[in-house]
Amino acid sequence: MDPLFNLVYPRLREIAGSLFRRESAASLLQPTGVVSELFLKLVTQHSLQFENREHFFSLAATLMRRILVDHARAARSDKRDGGVRVALDDDLMWITTMPSVDVLDIDRALVELEQLDARKCRLVELRFFLGTTSEEAAEILHTSKATVDRELRFARGWLYDRLQMSDGMPGTRLDAR
Amino acid sequence: MECRALDSMRDEAHWHELQRLFDLCIELPEGDRLAALTRECTDTALRERVLALLAASATIESAANCAAPQAFIGPYRIVREVGAGGLGVVYLVERLADGVRLRFALKLLAPVAADEAFMERFRREERTLAALEHPNITRLLDAGWSVDGRPYLVMEFVDGVQLDVFCDAATMSVARRLELFLQICDAVSYAHRNLILHLDLKPSNVLVSATGIVKLLDFGTSKFIHPNLEATIATAATPAYASPEQCLGLTVSTASDVFGLGAILFALLSGRRPFGDSSLVARIETATRALDPQSLRGSVTPAAAAARGLSEARLRQLLGGDLNAIVGKCLRHRPEDRYASVDALADEIRRYLNCEPVRARRQTWRYRSAKFLRRHRLGLAIGSVVLSAIVLSAAYAWSQQQRALREAERSVRMQTYMNRLFKMANPEYTGKPVATVPDFLRVGIAKLPDYIHDPADLRAGELALAESMMDSGSLDDALAAFANIKDSASRAGASADFTEAEIFMGQILCQQGHLPEGRKLLADALASSKGHDMPWRLRVLAQVYYAFNEDNNGFRTDSTLALLRAAARQAEEHDLAPRDVALALYYLGMDLQLRGLDTDAKPIFERLLTLYGDDPLALCDRSAVNGWIAWIDLTNGDAAGSLPIFKESYEGFIACEGPDSPGALDQLPYWAHALTLLSRADEAVQLLENAMPTWRRVVGGSTDNSDMLMELARAYLATHRYQDAETAARELLTLLSGKVAERDRTIGMAHLVFAEALAGQNRNREALPHVDTAVSILIPTAVSAYAKAFSQEALSLQSRLHEADVPAPTKLR
Repeated sequence: MDPLFNLVYPRLREIAGSLFRRESAASLLQPTGVVSELFLKLVTQHSLQFENREHFFSLAATLMRRILVDHARAARSDKRDGGVRVALDDDLMWITTMPSVDVLDIDRALVELEQLDARKCRLVELRFFLGTTSEEAAEILHTSKATVDRELRFARGWLYDRLQMSDGMPGTRLDAR
Repeated sequence: MECRALDSMRDEAHWHELQRLFDLCIELPEGDRLAALTRECTDTALRERVLALLAASATIESAANCAAPQAFIGPYRIVREVGAGGLGVVYLVERLADGVRLRFALKLLAPVAADEAFMERFRREERTLAALEHPNITRLLDAGWSVDGRPYLVMEFVDGVQLDVFCDAATMSVARRLELFLQICDAVSYAHRNLILHLDLKPSNVLVSATGIVKLLDFGTSKFIHPNLEATIATAATPAYASPEQCLGLTVSTASDVFGLGAILFALLSGRRPFGDSSLVARIETATRALDPQSLRGSVTPAAAAARGLSEARLRQLLGGDLNAIVGKCLRHRPEDRYASVDALADEIRRYLNCEPVRARRQTWRYRSAKFLRRHRLGLAIGSVVLSAIVLSAAYAWSQQQRALREAERSVRMQTYMNRLFKMANPEYTGKPVATVPDFLRVGIAKLPDYIHDPADLRAGELALAESMMDSGSLDDALAAFANIKDSASRAGASADFTEAEIFMGQILCQQGHLPEGRKLLADALASSKGHDMPWRLRVLAQVYYAFNEDNNGFRTDSTLALLRAAARQAEEHDLAPRDVALALYYLGMDLQLRGLDTDAKPIFERLLTLYGDDPLALCDRSAVNGWIAWIDLTNGDAAGSLPIFKESYEGFIACEGPDSPGALDQLPYWAHALTLLSRADEAVQLLENAMPTWRRVVGGSTDNSDMLMELARAYLATHRYQDAETAARELLTLLSGKVAERDRTIGMAHLVFAEALAGQNRNREALPHVDTAVSILIPTAVSAYAKAFSQEALSLQSRLHEADVPAPTKLR
């Protein structure tokens, strides 16, 4: 684990907590808004030094995903309103058409995806959690925009297929304890 | 179900094959997929997986493509979507109020943009925002929550086109773009004075109406976004245009709007965004590294150049100097390194624009006067002592060639030729009078080879005569003569003659409007004039004409000014003929004045006056210079000081050009303007009334010096002779109609004086459309303080008339 992650994460949770409390009325989060909020705090208050751009983006993506998941987990155990929904990028609008899918489901599916293909998981994090453009994601992952677009199209289909299994099929919910 | 869950687990075994088949099929039409799959893959289970993923993909596409449109948001019926970006979507909406269908723009924000206190904040700020009364700002009118829990804001609807789209569609020049940009600055500055920041300045928030009025949207929106949530400020803004401090959630200030303005200017000039199409995180990343955006000059594309009516190289050149610096200063990472205020930025742009060559009509006479410098050496002769003066002039030109004419034999031949010319010019000798200067020169150049046999001498003689042809206005003859000389010089390898011919051909071509060819010749001449053996006179001429024509056909740059300064200095240092020294000084002075550097220009003009002394041949030049000095005094607030100088200039022109002198007429409107300013409008009326018949006869229905009518109308207004003012303004409108561009400032000014004349007769209703037209033309084109004063005048008349005549528009609440 990135040492910076351990340094930053506790503080990040604190900020996220207050942020999410304010969001509760709308129960719909906008990660790109959240991430900037979190990130600027990190960067400015902790004067973080990043080794390079890749380092910055990979840490940001990991943190973002982690914070959303932790928050969703906490919300679910509060049994507040059945989980936190995420209004992701336009590319992930379809998630909102699946009423019972939440951040935890996405996270579970991403864990699986990561095992199958770590790079596609990075890509999804960058594009959908951080809101980077395809060009930026391609630059960070040292590949072409065409490759990014192609892999994303596949990953998106795969994720949807995977989430469909959770949606409306409580018995198969991956996070059912 | 168990199976399907297992399916995805089993994907691991053939993950790469799965993706390969998926990629293959998704490019194919749906009907062809199955066949392709069967052909490519024998594993039935894998085929099923591919099909499942394709189906999932199709669902996603359709979900993305049909976001269900709502019919109503609050009490507002949605007509259509007009834009999206930042935190929300903008709709054109309608609402019925008292049976009247009113249109508004409604911005539906993302839920994250607001909290429970959203409406409370709106109510609190409503008063402040309602007080924003500015022609370039759309007002925020209402706010609320949609049924699905999204906050919305309602503002005035502007039927306009997005700024950059508008500019590109009109192939708008860089200068016109800067003028529109000044309107934006004006609006932002006004809001800042009212303690409101915009914080989301970008081209899509700036609309331009059909009448060319800029409207800024979204003022005040920043006030309703989560006040404690720093980053949402950035989120609300479009990342590509947001300032570093917004991206980093640091304190925002007016400097953040300066950054936003710089980003708009960047896009407006280069056609690109300063940070490209960056996402917010990427902008945060660049901001953490304090990176400045790419350079303006480096962002030029061929398409952007075409949309500005320029070549790519020319646009790059334009954006290289001052503009690059101005935009760069707006976009500095540290807020304290940017312009201290929007006004400071606007001032800089105005200064830049004022350096631009003559666009305003008010300056045309001075350019025309510049030509006197050359023309009236000969022009003086036309009136009375035609022939002797012509020969004097020719002899004067010869004297400059003396260095090339050292040998006695040559001198003798020259002398013979001169005598011959004297004889030819004498009607008693030829029996047929050579009446005009051009005739004389034509004969002279045709006969020259009969007397001068040495090719170098012949070229020298021809050069002098061709130059005289040019001075006397026979541009086509002169061009042909120079072209001959150029050919002969080229054959003989005579580089100085070649360069001299190039210089004058370039100048003539530019004067005739053949800019690309002319400027190319001048650029070549400038390059070759730096050669080893080149006479100083040619170096000076090449620099002066090159710089002048560059400046006259684009923006003035520091390097062209430097050339003019160098030319003036060299001309004096190397003891060139007074005429050439004067030429260099004159263009330098004119250039400085047009750059708004009046304090630098005035001493140059005064030095010119000393140089001319009492030389009767320089009378026209002296009068032109006096015209400039008077103009500088007038526009710098010294109307009283300008009066005697205008008078001297006027009388000088009459003496050198005769009673119909266009140069003299050119002085009158400004002289009258000075009188009107000094509350001596009745004298102004008299001055102009006396000259009107001459002016009418001389210009013969052309728009030359139409400021005569303008100032006459204004002088009438000042003496409360509204009916006379109406007549003069009507004549002006008729004169201009169809002859100048529909939105030319002169048209706007004419409508303004016409409206004022009507209003003075209490004919407000008739005046209204004219003042509206005046406002719509004058506001967007006002650049100098001088022009701004008229915009203000138009605006205040407009509001006075509207208040008096029309019930205030119903406000919706």
